[in-house]
Amino acid sequence: MSFLVDKSTRLIIQGITGREGTFHCRQMLDYGTNVVAGVTPGKRGAVVEGVPVYNTVREAIEKHDANASVLFVPPKFLYDGAYEAISSGLPLVITISEGTPVLDMYRLYHLAKSKGVRLIGPNSFGIISPGKAKAGFMAHRIFSEGPVGVMSRSATNAYETVFMLTRKGIGQSTVVGVGGDMIPGSAFIDMLPYFEADEQTKVIVMIGEIGGSEEERAAEYIAAHIKKPVIALIAGKNAPKERSMGHAGAIISPNGEGGAALKEEALSAVGVRIAESTSQIPSLVESILRGK
Amino acid sequence: MKLLEYNAHALFSEFGLPSLKGFVADSVAEVKRKVGAYAPDASLSFPLVVKAQVQTGGRGKAGGIRFANTSDELEIEASRVLGMSINGLTVKKIFVTEKVDVKREMYLSVALDRKERSPVIVFCADGGMEINDIADRFPEKVVKIHLRGETEIKPFMVQYLLDKSGLDSSYKDRLTKIISSLLALFFGKNAMLVEINPLVVTTADELFCLDGKIDIDDNALYKFDDIRVVRDEMETNPLILEARKWDFLYIPVVENGDIAVISNGSGMLMSSIDLISKKGFEVHSVLDLGGGATAERIKEAVRIVLSEKKIRLLFVNIFGGITRCDEIAKGIEGSWDQVRSKKLVLRLEGTNKDAGAKIMRDLNPEIYLADDLVDGVDRIVKEMGR
Repeated sequence: MSFLVDKSTRLIIQGITGREGTFHCRQMLDYGTNVVAGVTPGKRGAVVEGVPVYNTVREAIEKHDANASVLFVPPKFLYDGAYEAISSGLPLVITISEGTPVLDMYRLYHLAKSKGVRLIGPNSFGIISPGKAKAGFMAHRIFSEGPVGVMSRSATNAYETVFMLTRKGIGQSTVVGVGGDMIPGSAFIDMLPYFEADEQTKVIVMIGEIGGSEEERAAEYIAAHIKKPVIALIAGKNAPKERSMGHAGAIISPNGEGGAALKEEALSAVGVRIAESTSQIPSLVESILRGK
Repeated sequence: MKLLEYNAHALFSEFGLPSLKGFVADSVAEVKRKVGAYAPDASLSFPLVVKAQVQTGGRGKAGGIRFANTSDELEIEASRVLGMSINGLTVKKIFVTEKVDVKREMYLSVALDRKERSPVIVFCADGGMEINDIADRFPEKVVKIHLRGETEIKPFMVQYLLDKSGLDSSYKDRLTKIISSLLALFFGKNAMLVEINPLVVTTADELFCLDGKIDIDDNALYKFDDIRVVRDEMETNPLILEARKWDFLYIPVVENGDIAVISNGSGMLMSSIDLISKKGFEVHSVLDLGGGATAERIKEAVRIVLSEKKIRLLFVNIFGGITRCDEIAKGIEGSWDQVRSKKLVLRLEGTNKDAGAKIMRDLNPEIYLADDLVDGVDRIVKEMGR
């Protein structure tokens, strides 16, 4: 199984002619992703890594029946690009840009919601279903197919976790970067139902961090709806207060709100197992898988 | 970034909100000069108010807001406020402004509610204290309306605010105008918070913005040259400023720490700090390269963190997706003269890992390449113990 991206994905790359777009087009093709078209305004007729380029998402959909888009565009162009993808009727839009203005995301989030579009990111590595397809820029060499579903606000912490799981011989079903921004297109609570419904996923790993209340809300959702075992990590326990740690969303307010302690408390109260660091996650996963 | 009060008033005026007129000064001499300039046309007349410009609340209680009836009093009050310390912050600037006669104080803000992924309009017909205190003491008086994709005020929203807050409906048009301008400012300047506290009713029965807080989204500062200038003026840490020039984020962690960490992501930095702290060592500062840094920029990043003399060990911890390990290695190679005098722990994983590792081994076969984060931190413990 796995979900969101797989062998049926027909992917568009917006920004395919840029440095990163071209590089990661090759990487995605090598991984077996069905990249059907690229879009860069003004570059219609070009071919990148064998993939035809169009000026608009609409034409790429008409010619290739595309059903998802990933955007390799600078943050200041993300709004227009994602708006185009959402309004052109693609059911899945993946944004990776780091540094997107939060009010652009406010508008995009509500637009996607009203149109029933699943918007992922920004400030995210994308999505990968190991062995099937990837849409994003993750270093796919470290991923392997298996029973662990992973979702993470941080790309680097997700890589570290996946790397250690794979090294231990434990594979992943689908790995989603929900991203580190203040308004994510999809938050943990939006992803949990997919993991719960996915037959391949036996354990859910949630990699959170300081700032906001996504983890607390996930805890409420888990208590009410999730039967699968969940492991969580909260990064940033020793981060200085009131300083954004690089992710716009990772900041502890002066009264302690957004701190790691409250999040861990809320999660362990509903039976989520807390990992102290990424390196503890594989053994926690292993003990759950063996216990079954 | 959080603006100072006088920046907020300038933006209020720009968006047509009735707000304080006055001038900013950083010395008594400047106050003298500016009052002189104002006095002839009487555009600023006594009594005047001297307001400390610092990014913290509770200025009034700390004595940072003072009144003056004459030029002599103004000089005395200005010299009192300039240089004073409020919540650990030194007052470097004062805002001199006219006194407003107040009949009633209210609260109005537009803030980003992360949980709802929406801006929220918050109104309270009783204001003048911190909104958290108002909400604690009179939760029923604080009225909130979330925007759900809208970017402007709709009549029903104002009606709801009036009905719930108990403010007389004769204020409806005036309040609509204020909120409408406030939203224009919020969206026009990519704010995350715009607060008018207090929003006052003057004795002439006009609505007026007596004090303001504005927080602008750092990710949108590329649009606003003037606000970037203000931000750089306010920043006192030269390394943060230097890092900004190269589009890096430099974060001081523990003043007396002696370890610096460079990574390609916020999450990895937080995990590195967490693990190193757990081992009993202190991280002085971290630098986030962001994604996709080139060799040339990485060289600059190394130069910036190592320009702090306290650093004894540099931990470069990369898990590259969009960042390529060979670029990282070339960057370190380029700054080798500086790096070789420090302890170095390197961890390269992800995109183009092998190419990166080869560059490092060719440079110096002794360089320790950690297998993973935990191995890297164990190596730090070993190196620091030497």
